[in-house]
Amino acid sequence: MNQPRDFSDERLNAFVDNQLGVQECDEILAAIASDADLGQRLCALRSAKELVRHAYGNVPPARHRLDRRLPVWCGALAASITLVVGVLAGWLGHQATATAEAPGAATSWAGRVFAAEPGRILIHLDSSRSEQMDAALDLAEAYLAKASDARIEIIANHRGLELLRVDTTPYAARIAGLKAQHARVGFVACGQTIARLRGVGVDVELVPETTVARTAIEHVAERVQQGWTYLKI
Amino acid sequence: MKWLQSREQRELVEQIKDSRLRLYRLAFAWCHDAGLADDLAQETLTRGLSRLDQLRDSARLMGWLFAILNRCWIDHLRGRREDFDDELLAELPSDLPGPDSHVERQETVSRVRTAIAALPLGQRQVVTLIDLEDFSYAEVAEILAIPIGTVMSRLCRARASLKELLLEPPVAQRHLRSVK
Repeated sequence: MNQPRDFSDERLNAFVDNQLGVQECDEILAAIASDADLGQRLCALRSAKELVRHAYGNVPPARHRLDRRLPVWCGALAASITLVVGVLAGWLGHQATATAEAPGAATSWAGRVFAAEPGRILIHLDSSRSEQMDAALDLAEAYLAKASDARIEIIANHRGLELLRVDTTPYAARIAGLKAQHARVGFVACGQTIARLRGVGVDVELVPETTVARTAIEHVAERVQQGWTYLKI
Repeated sequence: MKWLQSREQRELVEQIKDSRLRLYRLAFAWCHDAGLADDLAQETLTRGLSRLDQLRDSARLMGWLFAILNRCWIDHLRGRREDFDDELLAELPSDLPGPDSHVERQETVSRVRTAIAALPLGQRQVVTLIDLEDFSYAEVAEILAIPIGTVMSRLCRARASLKELLLEPPVAQRHLRSVK
């Protein structure tokens, strides 16, 4: 009588996850017929897998945190702002009208498809830190000073919405001035953030220059799709 | 350069928008905090949209987004424990609270989520990427930037823990059975 083969747990997991080749699957299937323990081990692994699937079939709806701490990635903020300003300064300085790819350079698939036009900039703000609000407005002003026919939008969500709320913005006059001077500048508030705040009893009144998008992320996606340059502050 | 309004491009942006729920679900399975999971999903989408030029193959969009989610998650954890490197983070024992009993009433679901929340981080990530997202071992290795052997060993330990916690009778019960 043949001794049952001792399959490792790694191998049985790979069988359950459909990661084995035909021959290896055949070996295990053949062994199951004469090895009840093997069948039970496989059954337990399969059950564990199904339980994990079942546990996250319905996850609770997303809850935005009102006390949202600044994300860790904001630590790199100063560097990213410097980089963005540097890139813009370079572009403005050279008054580039087209992006030329270096001969022989590896160009990615998306790089070709998502080649954004200069002159349409979407600035995304999700923080209420004054230096970040400043940076967003500084960028818009600097760009418009060089290219007055450019289209610029500042989209604000999460805590960044404070830039556009009457009771929280320190920059109402600056926003009004920008809009008065440049008809093609826009300020967009995230409808989801507004709904969340109103849901917990916050009275949200926006500065009059603001329009409202359904969600910030959808607005960003649409603008990227339309060829806008996207900058996260 | 002229902006290309291709069908391929429109489809990709639609896919990115549609991926939010999947990113959120996986982030929730990692952290069991709806607010944090939403932040991580949102940050992943914004990072993804701003780095689309780095995506080299549209067919691998989801793996690429999940790799960004992993980086966001590591950044979040690093913010709390700066002295840990990636390997130590993966072995980090869970300090997550169990699922919210007010939200989750189904006993089985709650038990499984509690068991997953108790897994070390690296095991939790591997088992959820494979079981919830059906990624291959090679894809998970790429997403988490770890060797495929590590994926297999973490999965093995994760399933062994889940099996013990969820499918085997408690030790006291086993002992009773053995002395009958």
